[in-house]
Amino acid sequence: MVKKAYNNIEPVGTREWEEKAPRYSETRRMIAVFAGRPLPIIGFTIIILLVLMAIFAPLLAPYPPNQMDIVNKLQQPSSAHWLGTDSLGRDTLSRIIYGSRTSLIIGITVMIISSVAGIVLGLMAAYFGGATYHIIMRFMDALMAFPMLLLALLIASLLGVGMVNIIIALGIGMISAPCRLMCGVVLSVKQNDYVLAARAMGMSNRRLMFQEILPNAFPPLLVMITIGIGAVILAEAGLSFLGIGITPPTATWGGMVNDGYKFIMYNPVLAISPGVAIMLVVFGFNMLGDGLRDALDPKLRGVI
Amino acid sequence: MNQNDSGNVVEIENLKMYFPITRGLLRRKAGDIKAVDDVSFTIKKNETLGLVGESGCGKTTTGRCILRLCKPTSGKIMFNGTDISAMKEGQLRPFRSNMGAIFQDPYGSLNPRQMARTIIGMPLIIHGMKKKRQYDERVEELFNLVGLDPSMMTRVPHEFSGGQRQRLGIARALACQPSLIICDEPVSALDVSIQAQIINLLEELQEKLGLTYLFIAHDLSVVQHISNRVAVMYLGRIIEIANSRELYENPLHPYTKALLSAIPMPNPVIEKKRTRIVLKGEVPSSATPPPGCHFHPRCNIAIDECKVEKPQLINTGNGHMVACCRV
Amino acid sequence: MAPLLRVENLKTYFRTYRGLVKAVDGVSFEINEKEIIGLVGESGCGKSVTMLSILQLISSPPGEIVNGKVKYEGQDLLQYKSKSEAMNSIRGAKIAMIFQEPMTSLNPVLTIGRQLTESLEIHLHMSPQAAKERASELLHMVGIPDAKSRLSAYPHQFSGGMRQRVMIAIALSCNPRILIADEPTTAVDVTTQAQLLELMQDMVNRFSTSLVIVTHNLGVVARYAERIYVMYSGRIVESGWANDIFLNPRHPYTIGLLKCVPQLGETRQERKLVPIKGLPPNLINMPATCAFLPRCDFASDICRSNPWPSLEAVGENHYIACYYHKSEKP
Repeated sequence: MVKKAYNNIEPVGTREWEEKAPRYSETRRMIAVFAGRPLPIIGFTIIILLVLMAIFAPLLAPYPPNQMDIVNKLQQPSSAHWLGTDSLGRDTLSRIIYGSRTSLIIGITVMIISSVAGIVLGLMAAYFGGATYHIIMRFMDALMAFPMLLLALLIASLLGVGMVNIIIALGIGMISAPCRLMCGVVLSVKQNDYVLAARAMGMSNRRLMFQEILPNAFPPLLVMITIGIGAVILAEAGLSFLGIGITPPTATWGGMVNDGYKFIMYNPVLAISPGVAIMLVVFGFNMLGDGLRDALDPKLRGVI
Repeated sequence: MNQNDSGNVVEIENLKMYFPITRGLLRRKAGDIKAVDDVSFTIKKNETLGLVGESGCGKTTTGRCILRLCKPTSGKIMFNGTDISAMKEGQLRPFRSNMGAIFQDPYGSLNPRQMARTIIGMPLIIHGMKKKRQYDERVEELFNLVGLDPSMMTRVPHEFSGGQRQRLGIARALACQPSLIICDEPVSALDVSIQAQIINLLEELQEKLGLTYLFIAHDLSVVQHISNRVAVMYLGRIIEIANSRELYENPLHPYTKALLSAIPMPNPVIEKKRTRIVLKGEVPSSATPPPGCHFHPRCNIAIDECKVEKPQLINTGNGHMVACCRV
Repeated sequence: MAPLLRVENLKTYFRTYRGLVKAVDGVSFEINEKEIIGLVGESGCGKSVTMLSILQLISSPPGEIVNGKVKYEGQDLLQYKSKSEAMNSIRGAKIAMIFQEPMTSLNPVLTIGRQLTESLEIHLHMSPQAAKERASELLHMVGIPDAKSRLSAYPHQFSGGMRQRVMIAIALSCNPRILIADEPTTAVDVTTQAQLLELMQDMVNRFSTSLVIVTHNLGVVARYAERIYVMYSGRIVESGWANDIFLNPRHPYTIGLLKCVPQLGETRQERKLVPIKGLPPNLINMPATCAFLPRCDFASDICRSNPWPSLEAVGENHYIACYYHKSEKP
């Protein structure tokens, strides 16, 4: 299709190679902005610690999380059990450490599912416009009309409880946010001339969407995904607290709050410690997300 | 590629591009924005046709119709002898490799996340160049062709200056060895000293590679310099076409005269001697153009006939065509 | 006669993440009464920043006026703080400015009438009634039809050219002594541009205002300006009468500019454009030598080993900042 290359044609135009400006890396600037403020660093550290805690849980936890010791139930914090024991004699600290696994797995899986689905739907809605846009957006509107917990309740009642079903429920509930954001960003990215140039050279729709538009539309999504993980962890904790979350005996922070709040008078640590864990982790993700947002595009402040 | 006997790369006949205006809950059609309103012209091989006019005159839309970035409402677009005006995307693919496009905004016309070599080589990939070595050689050749150092090919657009980015855009347009290049305001967003570099580059490329240009711009000095023939558009219609020199020395249409007079020249002595024609009023909207000759409300020699009759392009000799009943 | 405005050695620097940007680096010029001056240069040369510095409209981090005097009628304006009463009474009333973008220069939520009368009430202490009448007179003067009824219209109801006229009206409302037009022609069409410039020239003649046209368009200054200053990379490199600058340019940059601009009536066969080689200057961390050095066809060892030359006279009221051309013509 392409004919043979030109040979022996002298370069035209003024030679520009005496004038090479030094390389300038946007990545380095972004890292400098990110690292220049304390809160994002704190958030980042918290998350790293969380991940390490989840990975190395067996090494860090003093006891297996589900090991019951009824004799020693409802102990106050002591040297043997730093955070005491719960109503079945299980060590609170170990459960918190193992609980990080649950939270992280659920948080990440849900965000992956909902983001991938939301991004693809938002991309298609904004790119094709017309009927596609209206159908997808109205579907999202309907989804957003349901409070997330209600939706999760609905799905839990249809499918039953359990980790997989919770992931499905939360995944569906979280689709609308990335979808709408993606749609908005793509609508503006679409206006750029490089999209026009790509169409002029005959690029297929699919390639245009995923190769030209998506990489440029993604940065705000990254911020939303980061903050979203925190939101999912919080939502899961809420579901577990309501008793429709992960089934026992798996250690989950929300479940621990549920178990522990009955004893809040005698042993407040039981309920408060998982609560503090949730709080720290959500805070960490929010700070990380803020830092990312400012590094990527300070103009987004207030929008995301 | 096949060319018809007359050697015309592009022949536009009665091209119309109307954008519907919808109103109300049921999106009923309330009218049309007549962006391009019955435009006809030809571009010969190796020629540069300049298309000039103010904002809203339809020159950019005409360029986009030729590139088939939008489907014309009616009319014929003959590209190398084939009518592409009604073709579907799939049929258009092979023609697209023979057409290149350069856009105005050096900052927006390159994907900010891709390396320069990917941006330039994309047309090659789309039109089926599979061998890596051939691809790399061609990309390097394109860099050299537009005067950029090939060692910069792994850089990202924001590491290039405005003029260099425009060179990248030109290299991209040349990738598949097109016969026609549509230049949509290629130098308007550049500094004056860089404009000259790019204009010279375009001219040299045309001579060396036998290219045909449609040069769309609003700056008549630039258009006149680079074009062989110039077409002046007003509110969707071509009102005058002539050779570059002829248009300057002997403008016939009152709008062309006003346009020429409005452009100040960098020479105070000449400027003092020129007569200045200042038009009254503003450019009307393309949704409700004045009836008859679109220009009559602002024209100082308009008569009653101008309000009713749409003037046709008449050949006044030597290829100089003008659409005015007073000429 | 003493000049109306004299700028002496103005320096405005910007501290950015990537380094110090010397946007204006020692600019001196003067404006007399009833004069039209052109300040010519490409983007990034510092011409807009110079004008904003005169009116102290530079946002203070990251920009800062580090040196210089701006003497309006003998008084140094830089002594006043940016937000002080004294400076506020100069801005708009004595020195007015028209900006480039008519879209964003008018407040979209206020009517045109309000934006006009605002200035009149604050600076001239007019009553609202009198201000309204004067406002509709002004609109009529700049050529907006149905002036009285248009007072209650909003900016989005006007076209670009009309908005620019409104801006001219607002700028002229308090009879300023100096009108600064910052790239007045860039965002509008050619025929509208001609209308606006003719209007400005007409106003200048009527009210004896001085006009400063800041632009990169050499033709515009050739047509309207009496004296011209050519700026490059934060400094003035050539200044003089319009005829001298265009017919007898002495600085290599001016010479290069005139050679590379296409002129109406000259096709490519008749005159090939001679571009200025190289790239526009990178203002961050500039070296001390002449900024035009990498692009100059006449560069010599003197230029490479000496700092940027200061302005020297090469003719009557014709100054250039160049070593090569101090004594010889190109």
